[in-house]
Amino acid sequence: MAPSDPRYSLTELADLAGVTPRTVRYYMSQGLLPSPGASGPGAKYDDTHLGRLRLVRRLQREHLPLAEIRQRLAGLDDTAIATLAEAPAAVADPQDSALDYIRRVLGPPQVQPNRHLAMKQLPLRAYSLATEPVTDVPIPNILSVEPAPGRSFERSQWERIPLAPDIELHVRRPLPRPLAKQVDRLVSIARDLLEEDPS
Amino acid sequence: MTTQPAITARADRRLIRPHHRSKRFVLVQVTAPPATRERDRLPVNLAFVLDRSGSMSGQKIELAKQTIAAALEHLDGRDRFSIVVYDDVVDLVVESTPGSPEARRNAVARLDAIDARGSTNLSEGWFRGAEQVATHLAADGVNRCLVLTDGLANKGLTDATELAKHASELRARGVSTTTFGVGADFDEVLLQGMADAGGGHFYFVRDAATIRDHITSEVGETLEIVARDVELEVVAAEDVGVEAISPQPTRPRGSRTVIGLGDLVAEQVIDVVLRITFPYGEIGRETGVIIGLMDRDSVFAAGGRATASDARLSWAYADDAANDAQERDTDVDRAVASQFAARARQEAVRLNRAGDYLSARRILDSTGRRIRAYAGRDPELRELVGELAAEGDTFAAPMPAMALKEAHFASANMARTRDAQGRSLKRRG
Repeated sequence: MAPSDPRYSLTELADLAGVTPRTVRYYMSQGLLPSPGASGPGAKYDDTHLGRLRLVRRLQREHLPLAEIRQRLAGLDDTAIATLAEAPAAVADPQDSALDYIRRVLGPPQVQPNRHLAMKQLPLRAYSLATEPVTDVPIPNILSVEPAPGRSFERSQWERIPLAPDIELHVRRPLPRPLAKQVDRLVSIARDLLEEDPS
Repeated sequence: MTTQPAITARADRRLIRPHHRSKRFVLVQVTAPPATRERDRLPVNLAFVLDRSGSMSGQKIELAKQTIAAALEHLDGRDRFSIVVYDDVVDLVVESTPGSPEARRNAVARLDAIDARGSTNLSEGWFRGAEQVATHLAADGVNRCLVLTDGLANKGLTDATELAKHASELRARGVSTTTFGVGADFDEVLLQGMADAGGGHFYFVRDAATIRDHITSEVGETLEIVARDVELEVVAAEDVGVEAISPQPTRPRGSRTVIGLGDLVAEQVIDVVLRITFPYGEIGRETGVIIGLMDRDSVFAAGGRATASDARLSWAYADDAANDAQERDTDVDRAVASQFAARARQEAVRLNRAGDYLSARRILDSTGRRIRAYAGRDPELRELVGELAAEGDTFAAPMPAMALKEAHFASANMARTRDAQGRSLKRRG
């Protein structure tokens, strides 16, 4: 998917990078940022400028002198700068196809003698995080508990219950019913407590 | 025809406080472009995955078969379809084939031979259907697996979060998933989760008689899709937090926030509510967000001017007195309240079913109280507060399974800008 190509005014660019317009002009005068195509109040900046500006800020927070920053940036092209500026690392699209994925989960397409058993016994870590796109779907697989010997069909696993954007509760299921009820109450009370509202 | 902007954005308030982590809400409305001519529509590549476990026997399976046969009539040689049925074993009834008249006639004959039996291996039936779609993935088309069930998955993978995870992985690889739950015995959390993560839709099919309506409307919508994989991309300063409180998935892409809207049909309108969290700041300073709209085929970008597909909003830091006195945008307040009410109702359904009636009531009551705090004299918000209070009483006692499913479906549709039957909403006029 082609990224949108926003054009920023000087004020917008400065705001998005957390600096003042004056700082932007200063960086340009110091050769840390290329000038926009046109000049004056109508000048428009793009993502190349934003990426470069954010990277300069990051390096400055690491107390690098401007001369050093200029030197480091000089050896980098726009793509490299965009990659460095976009931390945490940008998410790559999955490398394998849908068909590869399904076959990895299901096994080969031929009819298996006992496919339900095959499915149950598939190690949970087999389809783990190697090429994973980041989603907000909880990922119980990597937290799953291996089945105890002799109870191979009773599988317990950790459920991640999001309570707020930065807080989650981990619960090992299945739980005895009274405890499950208490956990549900806990979740409800915690969410009540943490939920923000527009008041 | 008047030109509708593809994207509009409004904030509930425009001032923020210097010494608080202020939260402000933004209502983003996206309108899909009108239909292309029929001969230019996107090809579809569908798998119909049908539950034929014992509980489906009789009218349900007969109607499901008839409906699939009728839905096939809408396809033609550009399209592909396959049919999978499952109970404890999975059968490929029709291997993925182009939708020629002959292939469709053969498919109907094979459907006739299916009857209901056995238990429910939902996951493998679904994977086999997805496999058929994936084998002939249409790069420029709509690739979707439609799964119909009336019971609890009890064979194969049965864990709701695990299935949602797979749905999201398949989605990322181009295959979306739509689910239909028939009657009172399926698990709506599982089916809704698969559809949400899978970029498709969930339909509650009250009884056998409405199977036809829902499948027909879903197949019809796949034929009307004009923009695939639509996303909002929000650019904000690094210390500004952005998340969707409507149910669309939010994820980071580098320093931006991306909200996935899935595929949109012609003239579909979809509302997204964002919560923006601001850092402390000096009085007088302004800060803003830019909300871009994009899709796999650059349909929105092709609409004309470079500025057509983004919306910009800014806020100013002001003292507490000015913040307290500022105007609110009632339409945004209503959209925010209806999202929080929908969340509370879905949570209340879950709690009521788990037997925790007091918590079910408490979550509805507390949500009602929060809405009342900013409802002012707005009749619509006050009515919502009243509804939540009344529902608190209903949810404080055991409820029949069908009533819980009705409540879940109604609130899920409201949160996703869909009508009571789960159909997309279109631009008015």
